Amino acid sequence: MSAAADARCRADAAKSPFQPSLPAARKALQETGGLTVVALGSSTTAGAGASAEDRSYPAVLEAELRRRLPGAEIKVLNKGVGGQSAYDMLLRMEADVVAEKPAVVVWQTAITEAIRDIGEEKLSKILRKGIGIARTGGADIILMDLPWLSREGRYPHYDDYRAVMRKTAQEQGVPLFPRYAMMKGWSNSRQFTSEELVGMDGLHLVDAGFRCLALRLADGIVGGIGNVRIDAAGGRARPTN
Amino acid sequence: MSITASFRHFLLVGRPADGAVRLDKVRDARIDVLRGLALMIIFINHMPGNVVAAYMPHNYGFSDAADIFVLLAGVSATLAYGGLIEQRRLAVAALKLSGRLWTLYIAHIAVFILVCGVVATAVTQTQNPLFIETINIQPFFRDTVEALIGALTLTYQPSYLDILPLYIVLLALFPAIYAGVRVSPLLTLIGSLTIWRAALAFELNLPNAGAGWFFNPFAWQVVFTIGVIIGRGALVGINVPRLRWLDVAAVAFIALAWWAKTSTGNPTGIAALNDWFDSVQLGSDKTNLAWSRLLHIGALTWLAIRWLPAGTAMVKSTIGRAFACAGQNSLHVFCVGIVLSIIGQIVLAETSFASGVQLLICAGGVTFLTGLGIFLSWYRIITNRGASAEPSAGRGAALPRPSFSSR
Repeated sequence: MSAAADARCRADAAKSPFQPSLPAARKALQETGGLTVVALGSSTTAGAGASAEDRSYPAVLEAELRRRLPGAEIKVLNKGVGGQSAYDMLLRMEADVVAEKPAVVVWQTAITEAIRDIGEEKLSKILRKGIGIARTGGADIILMDLPWLSREGRYPHYDDYRAVMRKTAQEQGVPLFPRYAMMKGWSNSRQFTSEELVGMDGLHLVDAGFRCLALRLADGIVGGIGNVRIDAAGGRARPTN
Repeated sequence: MSITASFRHFLLVGRPADGAVRLDKVRDARIDVLRGLALMIIFINHMPGNVVAAYMPHNYGFSDAADIFVLLAGVSATLAYGGLIEQRRLAVAALKLSGRLWTLYIAHIAVFILVCGVVATAVTQTQNPLFIETINIQPFFRDTVEALIGALTLTYQPSYLDILPLYIVLLALFPAIYAGVRVSPLLTLIGSLTIWRAALAFELNLPNAGAGWFFNPFAWQVVFTIGVIIGRGALVGINVPRLRWLDVAAVAFIALAWWAKTSTGNPTGIAALNDWFDSVQLGSDKTNLAWSRLLHIGALTWLAIRWLPAGTAMVKSTIGRAFACAGQNSLHVFCVGIVLSIIGQIVLAETSFASGVQLLICAGGVTFLTGLGIFLSWYRIITNRGASAEPSAGRGAALPRPSFSSR
């Protein structure tokens, strides 16, 4: 993938800042030289629309973190199951997330709830519970915002559910990965063809969109960890930006 | 012997106290009417976010139409194939059952192809990739070969296409469950509950792309088994005793469920109950069943057996007859209902969930589905009239079909 192609992922970064603070990730890297990330989610995480397994966002994120944190033992576990609601994920939070003892959990969710209009208070409660369980092992949680849609009128309450996510993240002190704003920015930048970005006809591949998602997530995670010395795994490198 | 003692005897050894299995001709319209009703509720619920769905039973109780559907599947399987096992031989019943399993399998594959086609059309026409997300059909477009193999082996089930595979597995297990119930309903139920709890403890489930089956057969066989026990009771002519205390307990539990589901937060103020109220308000575990679900469907079933009029009383009204027709043709109505509800989902999104359109789709769909049931019942009568003139329609045709129309 050319540098120019990657640069467009960051073209509009100032409008969609993502600068989380990730103390657990930093601590894990310092103490063990390793970093385990669990990517929990539905089809975006599972890699729906990617042309191959290694083009899904968790796979790209893993490759990117390995490149930028040389010497560290990086694992990004893909726990995406297509079509699942936040409630479905809440039910498997112990087995799929806590049991893996991650330092970072990226939770991509709530699209099903927004489309089905299950009730804002209910979603908020599911998110709070989920974050609560995911945190029991001390992990840093990152909540992923809903995707940007080319035509939102289809789902009249879409923005209300985005507000629920934003508010819950704020109350819980959890960073919200601004996927919506990023996608909107990419779309406005005219540097992507519509197929590249979200597979506008839905059946085409969305590798470019996933890659950008993973790159911006990696930017945030590496930035959030800050400068650490990675010894345990044998390397002596520092994270590079 | 009193009814209570005779009922107890049945629970222990699976036959009436006098030992004679009389094989009552069961004509219980309740089964067809309730099944038809469950099919309509499933249709409405499969278009989530619509205003009518907000008033469907799952908002007021722990169980929903799926539980009723599976339970009644157990009852009617027993009336159809249990009767056959008693009258003819197991081999004959097994052959007939295999034929039915094949039909269900083909129906599932047909619905799968139709749904893939509908969604593909919708997505290319509307450029809304979320249709793929909601129905979880991406694997089909991403790796068609793998998804096709998954569909054929029932290891890939898009959303909404998960009930028929469960039904296939449960019906395949029917001879074993029925054999158990003949010996002892109580022991079979204990065995069934044990398998459920063990599967939960060991996290057993059949595989489905990335996760387990949405309806875990190891769990849902409990509901089906209860249906088989009820069917067996009806088959051998057992009356349930008038247990007032159980009536009261069932009503109390249903009222409790209603109260818990419709309040916000914990209305009791007892801190120890916070988690319980939260958990039932967020949803009950549909994949692995939950005690609250099972007790709720148990309470409803008890009250239905005790208080809904048996025989043909429920089909005296036009609406009862219409639902019964849908219930009698449940496979057709169910399959068409799935495809219609997915088309409905798409139309709802494309019209921004306008309330007029929502009501129109719900009313139109229910009318169409009951109309289909009525048509199919009529069609069977018309075509059977010709067939009965043939000499071959002798013994085999005289099966006690569990419907009011078998007279």
